[in-house]
Amino acid sequence: MSEKKNLRYGFFLGCVAPNRYPQIEVSIRAVFEHLGAELLDLEGASCCPAPGVFRAFHIPTWLVIAARNITLAEELGVDIVTGCNGCYGTLRDAWYELEHEPELKKMVNEHLAKIGRVYKGSIEPKHVVQVLYQDMGIDYLRGYIKHKFTDLKVGVHYGCHIVKPSDKRPWGGEYEDPRFLDEIVELTGAKSIDYKDKFMCCGAGGALRTAVKEVSADFSREKLENMRNAGCDIVIDCCPFCHLQLDLGQMEANNTYKDMIGEPYKIPVIYITQLLGLAFGIDPNRLGLVRNHNLTGVSPFIPIDSFLQKVKEQLT
Amino acid sequence: MTETEKQIKITGKEIPKIGVYVCHCGINIAGVIDVVKLKDYALSLPNVVLAREYKFMCSDNGQNLIKDDIEAGLINRVVVAACSPRMHESTFRITCKEAGLNQFLFEQANIREHATWVNMNDPEGAYDIAKDHLRMAVAKASKLQPLEVQRVSVEPSCLIIGAGIAGMNSALDLAKEGYKVYLVEKTPTIGGHMAQLDKTFPTMDCSACIITPRMVDVAREKNIELLTYSEVVDVAGYVGNFEVTIKKKPHYVDQKVCTACGACVESCPVSVGNEFELGMAPRKAIYIPFPQAVPGQYTIDMEHCIKCGICARPEVCEPDAIRYDDKPEFLKVKVGTIIVATGWDPYDPTPLKQYGYGRYPNVITAFQMERLLSSYGPMLGKPVRPSDLKAPHSIAFLQCVGSRNFREGGNKYCSRVCCMYATKQARQYKEKHPESDVYIFYIDIRAFGRGYEEFYESAAENYGIEYIRGRIAEVTEDKDHNIIIRAEDTLMQTPIELKVDMFVLSIGLEAVANAAEISSLLSIQRSADGFFMEAHPKLRPVDTLTDGIFIAGVAQGPKDIPDTVAQAKGAASSASALMAQGEVEIEPYYSVVLDHLCSGCRSCQSLCPFGAIDFDEFKKVAIVNPALCKGCGTCVSACPSGAMVQNHFANIQLNSIINVAVKQPAIENGGK
Amino acid sequence: MSENVDKYVKRKVYSGTNSRIANKFVDAGLEKIRACINCGTCSGSCPSGRRTAIRTRSIIRRALTGDESVLKDIDIWLCSTCYYCYERCPRDIPVTDMIIKLRNIAVEEGHILDSHFGLANNIFWVTGHGVPANGEANKKWQDLRVSYGLPPLPPTVHMHPEAVKECQDLMRSVGFRKLMDDIEEKKAKEKAEAEKEKNPEEKQK
Repeated sequence: MSEKKNLRYGFFLGCVAPNRYPQIEVSIRAVFEHLGAELLDLEGASCCPAPGVFRAFHIPTWLVIAARNITLAEELGVDIVTGCNGCYGTLRDAWYELEHEPELKKMVNEHLAKIGRVYKGSIEPKHVVQVLYQDMGIDYLRGYIKHKFTDLKVGVHYGCHIVKPSDKRPWGGEYEDPRFLDEIVELTGAKSIDYKDKFMCCGAGGALRTAVKEVSADFSREKLENMRNAGCDIVIDCCPFCHLQLDLGQMEANNTYKDMIGEPYKIPVIYITQLLGLAFGIDPNRLGLVRNHNLTGVSPFIPIDSFLQKVKEQLT
Repeated sequence: MTETEKQIKITGKEIPKIGVYVCHCGINIAGVIDVVKLKDYALSLPNVVLAREYKFMCSDNGQNLIKDDIEAGLINRVVVAACSPRMHESTFRITCKEAGLNQFLFEQANIREHATWVNMNDPEGAYDIAKDHLRMAVAKASKLQPLEVQRVSVEPSCLIIGAGIAGMNSALDLAKEGYKVYLVEKTPTIGGHMAQLDKTFPTMDCSACIITPRMVDVAREKNIELLTYSEVVDVAGYVGNFEVTIKKKPHYVDQKVCTACGACVESCPVSVGNEFELGMAPRKAIYIPFPQAVPGQYTIDMEHCIKCGICARPEVCEPDAIRYDDKPEFLKVKVGTIIVATGWDPYDPTPLKQYGYGRYPNVITAFQMERLLSSYGPMLGKPVRPSDLKAPHSIAFLQCVGSRNFREGGNKYCSRVCCMYATKQARQYKEKHPESDVYIFYIDIRAFGRGYEEFYESAAENYGIEYIRGRIAEVTEDKDHNIIIRAEDTLMQTPIELKVDMFVLSIGLEAVANAAEISSLLSIQRSADGFFMEAHPKLRPVDTLTDGIFIAGVAQGPKDIPDTVAQAKGAASSASALMAQGEVEIEPYYSVVLDHLCSGCRSCQSLCPFGAIDFDEFKKVAIVNPALCKGCGTCVSACPSGAMVQNHFANIQLNSIINVAVKQPAIENGGK
Repeated sequence: MSENVDKYVKRKVYSGTNSRIANKFVDAGLEKIRACINCGTCSGSCPSGRRTAIRTRSIIRRALTGDESVLKDIDIWLCSTCYYCYERCPRDIPVTDMIIKLRNIAVEEGHILDSHFGLANNIFWVTGHGVPANGEANKKWQDLRVSYGLPPLPPTVHMHPEAVKECQDLMRSVGFRKLMDDIEEKKAKEKAEAEKEKNPEEKQK
C-alpha cells in the first residue's frame, strides 16, 4: 500500500453530476477519501458556466462567472478538482486566458469588485483524472488495487475538453492519441478496447444537445455502434455530460434511430471512479452502483446489471 | 610609439575641410524637407568649408561635383546626406578614391530612410532628424582617419561540402576552369538524393540516367579530389585562406584493393535497414549504397558489424581488402573558397498522428514511393502496398505534409517540389496500372516552372488523375488495412469519406539534421526556416554573409533540380570570380591594439566571436588578425585598459557623434 | 410564363465582400481568421459535418466575406466544440474560438434559439445552475441524491441564495441581463409581427 499523500482540493461539482448523475459525485468522493485526498466543498459555486451554451452566448459573462467560481477555491487556498470535462474546459480555459491577458484580468476584477471578490490566479483548476494520473501517479494508484477484473472489455471514452484545446491542457500537447485514461482503466485488470473513432465527440457539448437533440443522438449512435462492433462490455468515461449523452443518449438513439440500428444498444455506462473504486475494494454501495430507491425516470437509463454481474463474478 | 599610434597623431594634425553634399533623391528627400535650408545649416557646422545640394548625388553629375571639389583642393573630407550607406557608401567611396582622396575619409548621413521616408507626413519632424544626422556625420568626418584596405591572397582551390547534384555541378565547373576542388561527401557515395529518384519531372528523364554520367565525370576529373565517407570537422582562417580539417571515416575495406565483386555481401550474416531504400529493404553490414555508386568500393558499417571475420576469409575476399583495424584519417587542406551544398532531409511525418504514418502499414511517404517506383528499388519498379505486397487498386496522395504548417513543430514554408513530384508519381503509377484510381488531395497545385503547368494538365486530362481540393483531416484503417480518408471537397463543399488501398504522404524538404553544426563550423547563418541564409534574398542568392563561403541547391532552400543546378553553377561562378582575382580586398574595420596600454589580460581573446585575436607570448600583448576581424567591437568594449581601438569606429569618433547628438538640442532656436 | 421566371430566373450575383463581420473579429483581436486559406481540414475533421449541413470552412468563409446569413443560420449551432478543427488547422487558426465568437455576434444581434434563450434567461439567470435540481419539478433528483447518502441539494448556489444574488449582480454588471432583455424585446416584437401577418382580419378590427 502506497504511503498516503497529503492532498487537498476544492471539489467543483458543476451541474450534471450533482443534479442528474449523483452516482458520479459519490464515487469521486469515495475514491478520493480512500486515496487520502481531502475534498473541500466550494460553497455557493454556480454553473461553471457551461462552455457550449454560455460562452457561446456572451464571452464576458462566461469569463466573469468562471472567475467567481475560481475565487471560491482561492479563498480556501486549494486547487480546484472537477470531475466534468465541460467544467474543466471552462475553468481551465478561463484560468489560462486570465493568466496570459492582463487586460482581461483587469476587466474581470472590475466586475468582481462589485461583489467584494478578487481574482488572483493563485490556484490551478484540475480534472479528477489529472489528479489521479499526475498529482498521485499510476504507481501510487497501483498500490491501492485490491481486486482485478479478469475479462472486462472497456470502450474508453475520453470526451473532448479534457484534452483539447491541447495548448491549455497538461498532457504535453497530446490530443490525437492520449493514453492516460486507458492506463488508469487497465490498472483494474480491465482491457481497453481499440474501437473505430475512439476519440470522437459524444455530441452533447457545444450547445448541440440543447439545440438539436436528434443530432447529438446520432453522435451517440455512431459511438455506441463502433463500441458494439469492437465487442465492448461497458463504456468508461470521465465526464458527466458525456456520461449523460451516452446513457440517456443511448436510450434516445435507440428510439430516434430504431430502424437504423437493429438491436437496441444496452451497453452499461460507467464513470472512471466507479470502476477504479471497485478495484480498490470500495463497497459498490458507496460508488453509486447499487439502486436503493423506487424512483422512475432517473439515471442510469441503461441498466448496468450486466456489468454488476461481471463485478460479482470477477472481483470476489 | 607603434605605427598605429603614429597614424593617429599624424592625421590629428591635419585640419579637416569638410564638403557637405545634400541629395534631393528626387522627391524622396526634397519632397519632404527643404534641402536648400539643410545645405545652409551644413555651412554653419564646424569644419564645413562648402555645401552643395543636388537632385541625384549618385549620378555621374552628382559624383563629379565631389570629384571637382577634391581635385581643386577645396576639401579633404566628404559628407553626403542622402540615402542609406547600404545603398551608396561604396559608390561615393570610389568617387573619392578616383579623385585622389582616401576612400575612408567619407561619411554618409542617412536622411532618407531615417528621416524623410519615416516621417513623410511630418516635414518639421523630418527636418529636425535630418539636421541631427547631418550634424553627427559632420562631427565624425572631422575625426576620420585615412585607412588602407587589406589585400589578402586567395588560394586557387575550393572545398565543396556535399556531393549531390549541386555539389557535383559546382565541382565540375570549377575543375574545368583549372581550380583544385576538394569534394567532401559524408555518405560512401556521391549522387545525393537525386540518385534515389526514379524519374524527374516534367521530362520524365530517368534520374539515374542523367546523373550517373555526371558522377563518372566527377570521378574521372583530375582536378577533383573526391573524399567520400568524409566530414569536415574544423574550419579556420578567412576568405582566400581557409584551413580545413577533413575526417576521412574508416571504410574498414581497403578502397585501393576492393574490386567491388560483392562476394562479401553474400557471406555477411548481418542484415540491417537500407538507408538508401528508406528502410524498405535490407542491406548487409558490408555494403555498397546502390549498384551505380561512385566510388564503387564497399564499406563496413561498423556499428552493426559483429566482426565475425567471414568476409575477411581468403575464399570470400580474394583481393584481401578487409581491414578491421582501419582508423579515421585526418586531412588538412588550405582552400580559397568554400561551397556548401549539403542538400536536405525528408520531413518525418510520424508526429502527425492523424495521418497514421508508422501506425498503419499502408501509409508511406512519397520518398518511399519513389523507391518503390524505381526499377532498381526494392520492388524493381513494381510498387506494392506494405500490408500484403499487392499492387494497390487505389492510391491517395496528400500534399503539404509538414509544409505550409504554421503550428508548433511544423514548417511554415512551401517545399516547392511536392506538387510536381506527386503529379509525376501519380502519372507513373497510372502508366503501370491504367485501371487504378489515383487521387491527389491538395490545397493549391504549384506548377510554376517550365513545362510544369502542361505536365499537370496532361496528368488530369490524359492520365485521369483525380485532383481533389481539400486537405485530408484524418485517416483510419479497416480490418484489411485499407485506408479510410476523411476530407472535405472544398469546391463541392461536401464531406468525403474515401477508402483507398494505399496512402502516400507528400512530405516536404527540411534542412539537414546537422545544419546547426555546419552553421557554427563555418560561421554562416541560417534563416528562420532552418536553411542556410543567403547574403541578400534577391540580389545575392548564392553568397553568404561570410566572405568566401557560398551556398547552393536545397541547402539554401527547397527547390527543384533545374534551380539547384543553376545555383550550383552560380556559386561556382562566384567562387571562381574570387579566386580568379588572386587576391581579395578586406574592409579595414578591424581593431588595433595599443601595445603600451595592453595589460595582457586576454579578455578580448576569449570574447572574440571570430577567433581573430591571438596573444603574443613574447611581448605579452594581444594581436588582432585584421583579415579575420569583422569589426564587431566586442573587444573594444571589453578591454579594461582601453587598449583596443577600432578602425573607423574609434571611441574618439563615436564620442564626437554622441556629443553633438545629445548636447545640442534638435530644435532650431536652441542654438548651437 | 411568369412561372418560369420565378422558377428559373435568379438574379443572384455577388457584388463583393462586406467586411462588417470580419471587422468585428479584427477588433476583438481575432484577426487570425483572415489567414484562412480554405484548405478544408476543419470541415474534414468535423464530426457534425459528417451528419449535418454544417461546413466549418464555409462558416469561416461566410464570416470573412460578410455573408450576413451566417448569423441567422442554424449551422453555427450545430458545432459540438470538439476542437479538432482548432487543433489541426495548418494556419494555426483557433477555429472553434472563431465559431464561438460568431455565436456571440449572432446572439448580440438577437439570433438565438428559443431553447437556448430559455436556458439562459429562465434557468441560468434564475437558479445559477445550467441543469437545476431545486423545486418541486426536480423532487425526484433530490430523492435520488438522498438515496446515495448525499444531501438533497448540493452545497452550490442551490443551498446559498446569497450566491445566486452574487451571480445575478455580476451578470447585470457585465451586461448579460441587458442582453437577455434586449433579446426578449426583439423576440416579442417578432412574435407580434408574425401574429399580425397570420391574422390580417385582427388588424382590421
